[in-house]
Amino acid sequence: MAGKMRKAADFTPVMYGKKRKAADSTKDRSKSNKKPNKRNKILCGGGGSDDKRKRKTGPRLPAPLRKVLGGTKRSTDSLNDSDENISSDEANDFYEYEEPLPQEESGKNRRFDVVKNYLLDPSDPVEEDENVSSEDDDNKDDYDGVSKIEKSHGWRESSEQLIDEFEDDERHLRMLQTVSGMPSEAFEGKKKKKKNLVISEAYPESEFNPSRDVLNGNGQISIEELLEPLQGKPGYTEIRKLIREDKNSTSIQAPLPRVEREMLERKAVYEQSKKDITKWEPLVKMNREAPSLFFDEDTNLGFSTVGAIASGFEPRTEFEKKMALLVNDDKVKEAHNEDGSKLLELNKISAEEYLEDRNHIAKMRSLLFRHEMKSKRIKKIKSKTYHRLLKKDRLKSVSAEMLMDPEAAKEEARKQEFKRAEERMTLKHKNSSKWAKRILQRGLEAQDEGTRAAINEQLHQHALLTRKMNTMKDSSSSSGSDDSDEDDVDENSAGSDPDEASKLFAKAKEKTLKVLQEDDEVPTSGVLSLPFMVRGLKKRKEEAVEEAKLALQEYESSLKELQDTGGEENANVGITSGRRVFGAAKRDVPKPKPSNKMKTDNYYRNSDSEDDLDENIDVGNGMKNDLQKDVNVDSGFLNEDAEVRRDSVFKSFDDVVRDPGPKTSYDVAIFASGTWKKMKKGKRVNANIKKSTVVGKPVLQNQEELSEESDTDSEGQMVDEILSAGPKPLYELPSQEELVRLAFAGDDVEEDFGKVKQEILNEEIPEPEKPNLLPGWGQWTSVQRKKGLPSWMLEEHEIAKRKREEALKKRKDAHLKHVIISEKMDKKAEKLHTKTLPYPFTSKEVFEQSIRVPVGPEFNPSTSIGAMNQPDVVKKSGIIIKPIKFEEVNAHEKTEEHREQKRSGNNQKTNKRKGAGGKRAGVRPVVVKS
Amino acid sequence: MGAKEDDGIHENILPPIEQEISDELNAKAKKYLRGEGADLKALQDKKLKGQLAVREEIYGKSAKAAAKIEKWLLPSEGGYLEAEGIEKTWRIRQESIAREVDILSSRNQYDIVVPELGPYTLDFTLSGRFMAAAGRKGHLAVVDMKNMNLVKEIQVRETVRDVVFLHNEHFFATAQKKYPYIYNREGTELHCLKEHGAVLRLQFLRNHFLLASINKFGQLHYQDVTMGEMVGNFRTGFGRTDVMQVNPYNGVVALGHSGGTVTMWKPTTSAPLVKMLCHPGPVSALAFHPNGHLMATSGKEKKIKIWDLRKFEVLQSIPGNAKCLDFSQKGLLAVGNGSFVQILGDLSGSENYSRYMGHPMAKGYQIGKVQFRPYEDVLGIGHSTGWSSILIPGSGEPNFDSWVANPFETTKQRREKEVRSLLDKLPPETIMLNPSKIGSVRPARKKEKPTKQEREADMEAAIEDVKGIAMKKKTKGRNKSSKLTKKKQERVAKTKRPFLEQQLKEDQAAGKKRQKLNEQVELPSSLQRFARKKTTT
Repeated sequence: MAGKMRKAADFTPVMYGKKRKAADSTKDRSKSNKKPNKRNKILCGGGGSDDKRKRKTGPRLPAPLRKVLGGTKRSTDSLNDSDENISSDEANDFYEYEEPLPQEESGKNRRFDVVKNYLLDPSDPVEEDENVSSEDDDNKDDYDGVSKIEKSHGWRESSEQLIDEFEDDERHLRMLQTVSGMPSEAFEGKKKKKKNLVISEAYPESEFNPSRDVLNGNGQISIEELLEPLQGKPGYTEIRKLIREDKNSTSIQAPLPRVEREMLERKAVYEQSKKDITKWEPLVKMNREAPSLFFDEDTNLGFSTVGAIASGFEPRTEFEKKMALLVNDDKVKEAHNEDGSKLLELNKISAEEYLEDRNHIAKMRSLLFRHEMKSKRIKKIKSKTYHRLLKKDRLKSVSAEMLMDPEAAKEEARKQEFKRAEERMTLKHKNSSKWAKRILQRGLEAQDEGTRAAINEQLHQHALLTRKMNTMKDSSSSSGSDDSDEDDVDENSAGSDPDEASKLFAKAKEKTLKVLQEDDEVPTSGVLSLPFMVRGLKKRKEEAVEEAKLALQEYESSLKELQDTGGEENANVGITSGRRVFGAAKRDVPKPKPSNKMKTDNYYRNSDSEDDLDENIDVGNGMKNDLQKDVNVDSGFLNEDAEVRRDSVFKSFDDVVRDPGPKTSYDVAIFASGTWKKMKKGKRVNANIKKSTVVGKPVLQNQEELSEESDTDSEGQMVDEILSAGPKPLYELPSQEELVRLAFAGDDVEEDFGKVKQEILNEEIPEPEKPNLLPGWGQWTSVQRKKGLPSWMLEEHEIAKRKREEALKKRKDAHLKHVIISEKMDKKAEKLHTKTLPYPFTSKEVFEQSIRVPVGPEFNPSTSIGAMNQPDVVKKSGIIIKPIKFEEVNAHEKTEEHREQKRSGNNQKTNKRKGAGGKRAGVRPVVVKS
Repeated sequence: MGAKEDDGIHENILPPIEQEISDELNAKAKKYLRGEGADLKALQDKKLKGQLAVREEIYGKSAKAAAKIEKWLLPSEGGYLEAEGIEKTWRIRQESIAREVDILSSRNQYDIVVPELGPYTLDFTLSGRFMAAAGRKGHLAVVDMKNMNLVKEIQVRETVRDVVFLHNEHFFATAQKKYPYIYNREGTELHCLKEHGAVLRLQFLRNHFLLASINKFGQLHYQDVTMGEMVGNFRTGFGRTDVMQVNPYNGVVALGHSGGTVTMWKPTTSAPLVKMLCHPGPVSALAFHPNGHLMATSGKEKKIKIWDLRKFEVLQSIPGNAKCLDFSQKGLLAVGNGSFVQILGDLSGSENYSRYMGHPMAKGYQIGKVQFRPYEDVLGIGHSTGWSSILIPGSGEPNFDSWVANPFETTKQRREKEVRSLLDKLPPETIMLNPSKIGSVRPARKKEKPTKQEREADMEAAIEDVKGIAMKKKTKGRNKSSKLTKKKQERVAKTKRPFLEQQLKEDQAAGKKRQKLNEQVELPSSLQRFARKKTTT
């Protein structure tokens, strides 16, 4: 075949040159390479043929030329074609050396599996058909023939035969074309049938592959034949019997595939289960539709008391068992049962034991008592010195300990040093904290006692911590300084007390004297012994002494003053019936003026506020103000003021301490008071005017209103008589505006109202803004100038207008000219409405109609309240809901029941009875309840 | 002619005709059904339909049960004057009525003459058992109307403009010269409500425990009398008025103004709920029907108008002056003018008021206040020389509900009721024009987006805030000024971001919308495929 092919190729070099290249290129492939190609081909099947067809659109001869070329060539090139197609997959291989067809393809060697060729063959003629284009039923016959021939005569012959057949076909096609005048393609359709052609015989005939015909006439091997050799063997008869039976029975079809079988099974099961479940339907439906479900109402749950629960208790753990053993001890039980006396016997304790116990308790008690007494006594001691001593003692003991133990001392010193370093580093106590900063920013004066003390305390702490000293040795002195510091604090805080002050002064004097008397011990060693240091120390010392002297003088003078003022103050106290104000004020007599001012200032403020509170007391006001002026001049006479001022004075006391800037506030106060006074006067005048004008009013009134008006005036009189004996009150006249309005009330009210309505409407639904023209906005300026506003602007405006009109139309007062109904939402009332429709409802109307009837006991007869407010599920707590049980319910009964339930509603007894009857006990499902 | 006062049961014992009875029952039950149920057939949801059907059935049964019980709970029927022949009811004088009625009723006709202490104003408790009378010149009196016993009488020596009972007879508020005061029954001054100022008219909202007042400057105050909290304080802006009435149905306070307008207020909004122009001249009096649907106003232009408050329309305009108006429990309208009281009645039931009765007082008496006594056919009249009481048959509700108001209340009952009513106190926001809307779906609100400027302002503020935060002091070269500035910028960007993102989102949404609109407009479907080309070119 290959040789032939080559020959054919020689005949048509132009036509196939190109293809040859490709075809030949494939031939250099090794067998192993070839094989997969072919397999590939097989796998491709129809798809491969499609490819070929496409490829054939390349350069080819026109039909008339082909005709001329004649039959044999045609057939060969078709064959060649097929060959080319086989290898077309690797068409890009360009090795042009020829190789003979592989052996297996040539069919020479029987070792090769021939299948591929055979499988290829049927497709090849198909390719040819494309060109030849017409094949009819006889083609098929041909093929059968071909196969037969092949079987009988071998490969080569068959191929020749095939070619002949094709020549015939060609001729037939040509004939058809000439007869019908249609192109060959028209007859192509029929060939498609052949594509499905399957050759059932997989293997070519050979001695290894005997065909049925060869082996047997009908090609069947019967069981009998197979059995023959077994005849006479032991199990033969049995087998034969079996086979006979088999023969008698009809043949069994092969079982269905598993998937299908299972599907069928499932189907059947489903049908069955459906039938099974549908029987529940009426029951479930009934339960669903029932307005409320009842569960086992008649079961007796017994008492669920603690006792009942405890009675069922059984000991489980070790401990419980032990306890139970003790509790359930026969002896104890017996004792309990019989009498309490035996229990006592069981409880016996020996006399010694008892005595010991008692003694111990007594001892402990007495100890406790004594300790308590002691601590109480100590706590009661108020003496500061005592506590100081106590503290000292404590410290001493500590220090003694330290002395005894140098390690401890060292440790302590180290600690102290560390603390100092830390403090110096962090300055934690030097008002650097946020809190302290804030307080300082606001000013210490503004703070109250406590904070100031706290600040001082902090500073003191800082001083303590940063002081350089050997802590242990100077501990006593430090404590002394501590004390002095405390004293200072005291002075600051409680300086107001005069006695305390004098004491303090005395103390200070003492101390300064001490300092003066102290002669300096010039250190003999260390840095301080250096001459310049000594000089410096001396200088400082002198300065200190001078200062101390000055201070002493000051102290003395102030002490004197204090004593003097103390006397004065006492006198004052006598006058003012024990007011503490002056004590405090006189304390700083050296600068009395500011304090006076402060006081007066406070007076003003207080009196002002008082006036605000009760305006009624106008009688005294003038006087008061005068008095206040007096106060300005001379604070000494304050005491003689009216009683009203007493508490204000008290207040002022506190304020004196705090007020930092007396002068300015004082001025302001005066000013304020002046204006206030003026204001007051003005008011009065106004009031007078008003009252006087009222006289005329009744004259203007109608006859009807006369009585009332006269009343008002008389009322005024009366009240005035009651309240004050001042100038005769005068009448009130409605203002001119009001009179005018009354007189012209009937004019144009409607128009006014219309205007008002329009205004309100505009406010609630604002009118759209007019499109305002910006040169060059939205359009070129020139265009704008010509055409006016851009259309989209106008359109927008129109839309907004229309919307507004619609909104206006929707308003409730749209058709009521004389009514304005506000459409403003009340935000507070929003919570009284639901935001969204509650779940099952889909329309607002239905929902609103469903809530129109109140269901409370105030609105309904007691017979129907129960039904109205019945819960969905009626169940005693503690009842276990059992799963639903089947029971026969027909549809009719269901509705009946339904009705009945509705009717009975609160009438639960009937239901209960029914439950007791066992008919519907515990069968109501919860699961299905929606 | 005859005064027919029915107090007993007038049920004829006839052989019962089933149909008739059931019809009657149905008619009665309708009242208890409070309107129609929803149309269930239109509902799609079967389950809901079922549930609602069940509920409706229960409602129907309840209504029927209530209708059945009604005849036991409401045994008495109200009577009224019936004219025979050419007689007219308004010609019937009090004397002739007195001759017909029983002694107890005839005791309700009297005049109390206190000429010095000026025109009197009256107020009854809810049960009608007690009356407070206040003389202009400071005379305050609480009277037990059952036995005509003067409970307490005090003289405050100050102008008294109005008096009103609080929740029970133990407390009453008076509008005095400068402030309103609250007194207890013993005449002890409990409170002075200075915030109200010089009050002209007082009203008490029983269900909300609010004391409403209008003062000389046209300021409306609401004060909660339980906790003393000032709930509302509004300037009406319509000038001085002393025409004020609370609508018993919904607690809305109505004010009549000199411009002829009537405004209605609630304590939680500063603007009036309704403003209606009722008269061309000043409004002189105002009254509400107990069912809250009718309002009567009178103007100085000699007109009395009856309004339907559901539609805000005039039902009827009656000529006549009125200084004071009042509706009775049964819907009779008393009109006081000068020294003459006229009673208008809606006898036909068609909301058409006509003359029913009249009563001339002694010459020179100026009527200042008319008020019907609840649960009695009695009209109290406060006038310039004291107060009077006349019989108006058919004015009062014949059956009282002891849960609402019990004229025969014992001390214990009163105490219990006080507690109960305190527990049932309604918050002030429940006052609205249609209280039956409570619980319904909130009306849709206009979504108000913040304007661009507002948004920008917000952003600016946020940025400022961020800038203000002090930087932490860092170490190891992280405190460089460059790093700090970078960090600051980052912060600013971070705060800006959400604002910008939101804006972007909105812009995009707007863009999409516009695009959609454009697309919708564009082309028929057959030409859609060319659309793209068109946009590109």
